[in-house]
Amino acid sequence: MTDPILSAEGVTKTYRVGKREIPVLRGVDFEMQPGEMVALLGASGAGKSTLLHVLGLLDPPTEGRVRFEDQSVSDLPGPKRAKLRHREIGFVFQFYHLIPELTALQNVKLGTMMDQGPLAWLGERKQHDQDARALLDRVGLTERLTHRPDELSGGERQRVAIARALVANPRVILADEPTGNLDSSTSESVLELLFEINRESNIAFLLVTHDEGLAARCDRIVRLRDGVIDA
Amino acid sequence: MYRYFLAIRYVLSRRVNLLGMIGVSLGVWALIVVVAIFSGYLTEVKKRLIGATSDIGATLIPEDTAYVDLAVEIEADPNVAACSPRIVWYGVSYSPDAEPARGNGQLNTNGIPGASDDFIALLGVDPTIEKNVTAMTEWIENVDDPDLRVADASRPLAELDGEPTLVLSTARAKAHGLSRGDRVHVSSGVMHEGRAGEALELVEGWFRVGGCFDSEFAVFDGFHVYAHIDAMRALLGAKSSNKSETWVNEIAIRVKDARETVKTSQRIRRRLNRDLPPFRNPIRVRTAEQANSQEILSIDHQRSLMQLVLYVIMIVAAFLVFATLSMMVTEKTHDIGILTALGATPRGVTFVFLACGLTISITGAVLGVLTGCVSAIYTDAFNTLMKDWFDVDLFPTAIYNLTHVPCELDPVWIATVAGSAIGLGLVVSGIPAWRAGRHDPLESLRNE
Ligand SMILES: Nc1ncnc2c1ncn2[C@@H]1O[C@H](COP(=O)(O)OP(=O)(O)OP(=O)(O)O)[C@@H](O)[C@H]1O
Ligand SMILES: [Mg+2]
Repeated sequence: MTDPILSAEGVTKTYRVGKREIPVLRGVDFEMQPGEMVALLGASGAGKSTLLHVLGLLDPPTEGRVRFEDQSVSDLPGPKRAKLRHREIGFVFQFYHLIPELTALQNVKLGTMMDQGPLAWLGERKQHDQDARALLDRVGLTERLTHRPDELSGGERQRVAIARALVANPRVILADEPTGNLDSSTSESVLELLFEINRESNIAFLLVTHDEGLAARCDRIVRLRDGVIDA
Repeated sequence: MYRYFLAIRYVLSRRVNLLGMIGVSLGVWALIVVVAIFSGYLTEVKKRLIGATSDIGATLIPEDTAYVDLAVEIEADPNVAACSPRIVWYGVSYSPDAEPARGNGQLNTNGIPGASDDFIALLGVDPTIEKNVTAMTEWIENVDDPDLRVADASRPLAELDGEPTLVLSTARAKAHGLSRGDRVHVSSGVMHEGRAGEALELVEGWFRVGGCFDSEFAVFDGFHVYAHIDAMRALLGAKSSNKSETWVNEIAIRVKDARETVKTSQRIRRRLNRDLPPFRNPIRVRTAEQANSQEILSIDHQRSLMQLVLYVIMIVAAFLVFATLSMMVTEKTHDIGILTALGATPRGVTFVFLACGLTISITGAVLGVLTGCVSAIYTDAFNTLMKDWFDVDLFPTAIYNLTHVPCELDPVWIATVAGSAIGLGLVVSGIPAWRAGRHDPLESLRNE
């Protein structure tokens, strides 16, 4: 076994609503190897999305910590966490979250703009443009570069979101029910795309899903129940 | 990079922002154009006031003082180029030869205040000396009308048919239907120290119109009338009282270096009042700007008032920007989640919206400055064009007795206006932008 790329150590997360405390995660220990495809299963409200946000450094854990490679990252200052998120982690959400004003190509290119100043970015703009076009080509949207999100179907939007998640060359992709909003045949083709990318690259995937059949196709299944990972 | 890119995209994709931009440029435009015209007018007025009244004037001169003694003192000052004696008196004129309906005389006065009144301010001058101090000679030479020109420009106030002459403005001559040679009766009053205290004595005399002048300064042209200083002394009875043979009640002074005018006037005041006996009022020495401070202050005040009013346009535009940006932030909370997931910091998110406000206000300010400067420079040409083609007089120059629309662009003022527009843009985008930065990005990433 190699060293894990992303891991959680005794992560708890407790939300506070007024005076009430709602424990969602109660001590999650979890590891992901590079290039691994992991399915995360759990009932609705089990805390799958919460765990994903903690792992993706969007939400700090109440206790415990998140490691990236061998570095403890959940307690880093905000800008450092943002930088790591940009460079190493890609997100795909159920509701795509594309920016409605931007074309497909611009939405993908946005993913290259996050840590460069205008001059540096413009200096490399040809490279960025090529990368974005190549990725949209890879996800099968060669013909849709200048379409805005409202001119795209659900499956196409999710493909743009996948291209955007890939454009900064992350080593981990966190996908929260990426096909939860798509019909079954579209789902199948989007999932096929994710599996292909996983096979071609060394990117680790954490796939949140309710679908046991889909989970079975992954390298490994983890289940979240009562706030802990059920082996 | 994403900050600038998104800001520009957000601004461009919303028409309302165009409205804010136009509002800002409108405010900037108005502040530049109107203030340029006011400043130009103020400069013009100052120029003419000083032209009409000389650089420095000495008044409240005691009647028993001889002009020559004062002139020696004044001309001893190193910055004095020349000085000229004057008797300034007020009176009422009437002419048996007047033809009020002559030509389109009334129209030609075109609102010049006082030109058609009977009330006059008589300026008794010695033309041979006066020409060293004010532009009187040039104003006389400005007149082309053969009926109104003085017979001999080198001796403008010479007697005509044995009677003293008056030189009045063409506006007044036309308003009253007077031309050269017409007789004018002037009456006035003089205070006399009699046995029973002070008493008013009526004085009167006949003059002839010797010709006209044109100073192009409405207030001056209106009721100022030149007469020879000796004729004035005769009219006011110099020889019948304790008045000096060469008494004057005003001395007009021309300086060499105009920048030193105020200091020079202070020096002259000290010098003239050096041996002031007890219980005597000092001679008053004022610069033209001080003497006309009311007029200048009032235009200056109108300009400030105008600035204030026009700033309101800018503030309204700023509110518009504030409203549209607030709306935009509410609408865009959606994007904040994904931007954070892609690697944006809260500060970066704040900056995106701040940059939106700045894009709007900077573009507005730049557009406003450009259009403002261009239209200020071409106001006069535009005004002429409108008059020639459509017979529309947008800026009736004749009312102010101007030959053109005045305009003076002050770079400091332009910078102030542009700066305050941009500053205001920054201030009003600050609140929505700060709100955007504080927004919890997870809220929009959780389910819809
Ligand atoms: N900000 C919050 N404040 C309070 N409670 C929260 C907050 N966010 C999430 N929760 C609660 O935490 C629990 C877990 O939520 P989470 O979204 O992680 O579940 P999930 O497993 O992703 O469910 P689903 O399958 O429906 O997406 C839920 O009960 C939810 O109500
Ligand atoms: Mg969820």
